[in-house]
Amino acid sequence: MTPRKEISSSLVLVLFSLTFLTYTTRYPLDDWESPGPAVFPLLLGGVLLLLSSWQLIRAVTASKAPIHAKVKGSMMIALKTFFHDNKGEAKVLILTAMLVLYILIMQWIGFFVSTFLLVILSSRLMETKDWLRPTALSLGVCLFCYYLFVGWIKLSLPQGIFF
Amino acid sequence: MSEQGILSYLLIAFQPANFISCFIGAMIGTLIGVLPGLGPAAAMALVIPLTLKLGPTAGLIMLAGIYYGSMYGGSTTSILVNVPGEPASVVTTLDGYKMAKKGRAGAALAIAAIGSFIAGTVSVIALQFFAPLLARTALAFGPAEYFALTVLGIVLLSSMTGKSKARSLIMMMTGLILSTVGMDPIGGLERFSFGIETAQGGISFIAITTGLFGIAEVFEVLAAREKPLEILPVKFRELYPNRKELRRSAAPIARGSLLGFLIGLLPGPAATMASFASYGMERSISRHPEEFGNGAIEGVAGPEAANNAASGGAMIPLLSLGLPFTPATAVLLGGMLLHGITPGPFLLRDRPDVFWGVIGSFYLGNAMLLILNLPLVGIFAKLVRVPSRYLMPVILVLCTIGTYGDNSALFDVWVMLAAGVIGYVMRKYGYQPAPLVVGLVLGPVMERSFRQTLIISGGRVESLWESPLCMVMWGIAFLAVLLPIVIPRIKAGLKRDC
Repeated sequence: MTPRKEISSSLVLVLFSLTFLTYTTRYPLDDWESPGPAVFPLLLGGVLLLLSSWQLIRAVTASKAPIHAKVKGSMMIALKTFFHDNKGEAKVLILTAMLVLYILIMQWIGFFVSTFLLVILSSRLMETKDWLRPTALSLGVCLFCYYLFVGWIKLSLPQGIFF
Repeated sequence: MSEQGILSYLLIAFQPANFISCFIGAMIGTLIGVLPGLGPAAAMALVIPLTLKLGPTAGLIMLAGIYYGSMYGGSTTSILVNVPGEPASVVTTLDGYKMAKKGRAGAALAIAAIGSFIAGTVSVIALQFFAPLLARTALAFGPAEYFALTVLGIVLLSSMTGKSKARSLIMMMTGLILSTVGMDPIGGLERFSFGIETAQGGISFIAITTGLFGIAEVFEVLAAREKPLEILPVKFRELYPNRKELRRSAAPIARGSLLGFLIGLLPGPAATMASFASYGMERSISRHPEEFGNGAIEGVAGPEAANNAASGGAMIPLLSLGLPFTPATAVLLGGMLLHGITPGPFLLRDRPDVFWGVIGSFYLGNAMLLILNLPLVGIFAKLVRVPSRYLMPVILVLCTIGTYGDNSALFDVWVMLAAGVIGYVMRKYGYQPAPLVVGLVLGPVMERSFRQTLIISGGRVESLWESPLCMVMWGIAFLAVLLPIVIPRIKAGLKRDC
């Protein structure tokens, strides 16, 4: 892991533990004879803060020299490298957006219709060349899930206006 | 009770109705274990209404079949697609998946099945003969001992992902923090649920694990710039472990069986803890610890044996004390009560047919699972060669169904997606999800025992470590922290002197 990643992840953890500790103060501490609901979370938040701070300090002290050395390159090269190294991330973002949409529309158009669309589109996103195979796969998955989970296990899945 | 009497009760499992129930339970369990997300607890809860028609013995045999069948099946998806079917198989992903990537998926699956069979049988024999004695030992654990045990577990398990102890501990703390969401286990006060009704019962364990492992895996495959490793076609015979692999697996299976059974007697997520503890032990005593995490067969054999032995061991407190220490045994307890059976010290006296019938079904079920699993190894291994563009959408759907099916709540699906995104980012930044899962499971036990100890002792903090059992566990925990720091320094000092 690069020093920048180490520092940024530690920083996020420090901020998370601080936010958690602040939020924990909303609950009663009571006393040692009858510890309240805030005691255990406070201890956990404290330990997490200590660990992430220690990691942050170590990362900062260990990474001073390499960071300065890397900044010397031009901004354009840095941007090009970034986009080159993170080509796949765009697909992850698209799939995340698809999943958000999937969960949102599931309650309106029903589990099976939304799943049918999700399987086709996600398969296409994963570089399936044609439409036929993803459609057949999607149909097969939906039928399998319907007979297994609804027909056999009697699971109640979200139903919408279509199915 | 005479041995003949016990034998006749054990044979109850072989009666046609019980035999068929055992087979169906083991099949459903394997299927549930294979499917990522849908865990044994959720599956058992769904099947309980159906078992009511079968009567107590056949019904409970079917539920027990689902329980240990899922332990067998859980390893399959861990090895083939890096998605643990259930929490106890999380550790199998570390080496099992790496073995699959090297084209040894069949060998890993076969070793997991053989190890599970041996460990399952060992645990049932031990369960049958040592149940009363071991149950008394388990009874000696009070809240202070439970707390010391969870602390010891966290310390020992912090080195499980190998690269950084600090990161493992950070992930465990995050898991423990997530476990505090929902009702406070002592006073019942609602915490960190932000008014969301579904979150009041706590964050869904299934949603978190499915997201961290299943969805994050799909993202990772999608983002990978290089093509996923294609496994070369191999002959059916070559899917089985070779002599070297069998030889290397024998001792880890034996150690895993013993360790798993002993951990199974203790409260908490026994199967999960046992698999991680076995992995840590195998790694620490191995002559080639660098192979762990890169496809070491010992990393599959030991944990798989341990989690199956633990699931047998966990039946002792359930059957003899009426104490469910895992979510799955809690559901099993619910099933028993619905069948009019009250587990506890009187179960053996009042309903020996049920007690020994269920234990007898363990023998039968283990044999069935081995017979079922070994021939199916080839079919499971073929799954690896299914292109990810077809497999990943299917995983997305199964994860969604598994998560939604747990509570019938869309909120859990949102949690799963969030856990998936976070899990993906975590992997990118070198944080492993497995310690977080351990923290999430241990959290409720740890908090309850911590607060109960203080309440019982009237606020005396020293009561957390003053009993002999606690002292031993705290002592081991301190040694586990100190020794890795002290030993290298001593070694370095000795080298300098030389």
